[in-house]
Amino acid sequence: MKKFLSTLVASGLLAACVTTPATDETIKIGYIGPLTGDAVAYGKDTLNGIMLKVEEINASGGIDGMMIELIAEDGRCNGADATSAAQKLINIDKVVAILGGQCSGESLAAIRVAEPAKVVMLSPLSSSPDLTLASDFFFRDYPSDALKSVATRTYIRDQGIKKVAIISENTDFAVAFRDALKKDLPVGTLVFDEVVGPGTKDFRTLMSRLKNTDFEVFFANGQSDAVIGAMMLQMRELGISKDAMSHEVAESATLGEIAKDAVEGMAIISVPTAGVGTPLESKFEKKYGAPQATIAFVAHAYDAMGVLAKAIDAVGTNGEAIRAWLYDMKSYDGVIGTFSFDENGDVLGIPFAHKTFVDGAIVTVNDIAVN
Amino acid sequence: MTQLLINALIAGSFAALMASGLALVYGTLGVFNMALGQTALMGGYVTWWASTSLGLSFPIALLIGMVAAGFVTWLSFEFFVEPFFRRHRFLPLVTTIALSMILDGAILLLFEERPRSIQFLNAEPVTIAGATLSLEQIVLIICTLIFLSLTAWVLTATSLGRKIRATVLHAHAAESLGIPSGLLYRITFILSGVLAGLAGVYQGIDQNLTPVLGFSITIKAYAAVIAGGKGSLKGAVIAAYAIALLEQLVIGVPWFAGTYISAGYQSTVAMVVIIAFLLFRPQGLFGSTTRST
Repeated sequence: MKKFLSTLVASGLLAACVTTPATDETIKIGYIGPLTGDAVAYGKDTLNGIMLKVEEINASGGIDGMMIELIAEDGRCNGADATSAAQKLINIDKVVAILGGQCSGESLAAIRVAEPAKVVMLSPLSSSPDLTLASDFFFRDYPSDALKSVATRTYIRDQGIKKVAIISENTDFAVAFRDALKKDLPVGTLVFDEVVGPGTKDFRTLMSRLKNTDFEVFFANGQSDAVIGAMMLQMRELGISKDAMSHEVAESATLGEIAKDAVEGMAIISVPTAGVGTPLESKFEKKYGAPQATIAFVAHAYDAMGVLAKAIDAVGTNGEAIRAWLYDMKSYDGVIGTFSFDENGDVLGIPFAHKTFVDGAIVTVNDIAVN
Repeated sequence: MTQLLINALIAGSFAALMASGLALVYGTLGVFNMALGQTALMGGYVTWWASTSLGLSFPIALLIGMVAAGFVTWLSFEFFVEPFFRRHRFLPLVTTIALSMILDGAILLLFEERPRSIQFLNAEPVTIAGATLSLEQIVLIICTLIFLSLTAWVLTATSLGRKIRATVLHAHAAESLGIPSGLLYRITFILSGVLAGLAGVYQGIDQNLTPVLGFSITIKAYAAVIAGGKGSLKGAVIAAYAIALLEQLVIGVPWFAGTYISAGYQSTVAMVVIIAFLLFRPQGLFGSTTRST
């Protein structure tokens, strides 16, 4: 299957090339992402975004006359498959750099293979805070989850909010977010702080208690839109009309459908919807149809390939040289914005966004700068 | 405090619907149906599908949902319970766990991972004696009580009910008197599925439906059945409401010097009830101590 996929991708690329390569040699770039399984939407969007950029570069003559050859491997959104994918890409295909993984689990595992081989990994999608200090060879143009609590803190501070009530679902993601937020906010800001079992839908009694609590904004920290919907509906039913906010989980059209008026005006602190309304979106849709997940994933992948091509163009195919160039890079003008990398390879300059529900639809209010 | 009682009434009505069907099945067949939570979801999802995707009126959609839930339970009886339970009454415990996994997958395939909510009445909440609840909830609670009373009436006042109760009391004696136990098993099993399906619709209206919550619903219903006493409909219903009230009290009132118990412990209430009853009163609130199988 893996061979089949890479042949497929490679032949697709060859067919797409209109200019004949100046030399027989190509610059091989690896890709690791979920091409099968539950997370396949992430893989499809990022891979297509990268392919679009590769085709553009090759069509305009490649890098120093050399064509880029993309070799895609299936990481299946897990560490074990990503490790074998990285081994194959590095030891057999001898790729210059790897774009991936997409899932954080893939990146955390694959970097263990890439670092000793001095191969740079640039991820368009992995957001785990654990990746910040994972390796000197790891970069990403997607903001770390750790920045989310910074953005939330910034929003709370800018709004002059002093008392926050939060109900968190007991899952890795939601509890990690609550812990980070608790650390970032001044002591005593969380006046109501409860953690409920995963999948809880009955919040009535907690909401009755919340009704008697003095707070300014309620933070719905659920792992799924179903849980956030239940929280918001039951809170509004009890007649609590204070402001509410949440993170990107609430950025779901389904939430607007199931909770309707209950989520109207709720503040959502989320990553920006990069790529919406840009020429990239129309180009992408003409070629691949609508993105499986979101155009933002396509845009982050497209820019990751763009910045990597620029690095190779400047310093050649040596892994350490590429790494040094990426650290030194002042800024890159991409679809997702103007960005650079910090000393840990985390992206700088990508703001978070304050969004909200207006008549059941999600609209962006303004950007929240985090670094 | 009134609000706590109302909250318990809302949560308890849902649990009572699940538990009553289960009490009947456990009483007549002595088997555990671990797939009942998924059956409830099936009923809820099919009702959602009929009312939202097909655009049918709510009563018709509800009817389709109940037929679907009944059909699923009938199939599960024929293929996952009937071939096994006479060999050993714990065998269906394993087969219905397998069934619950199959149904989990089927629900995901048919209805996707997104949460679904059933639209019923959309009215402003009302305040009664300091407690807030919506018109939807009032209707749901009343309907549940009507359905449960109807089931109780069938059991006590009709010939079918007498036969079911006779089978609960002593299956072999009932059979020797010419009561067709095979047919009764099917009737009670399907009835439990329909009651569970109603619970699924209740969940879909009051909160929303997600594919993964089947198992926790089943466990809560079992807590009520064990606390209520084997085969006792009255016991299961009372226990369902009592557990719901206990769940609200645990996190709703200050316990130790004004501090509240963390909400994460709410879901353990059902487990604690199961263990406490098995230890100290294994026959349940209304079960008899004399019968053994």
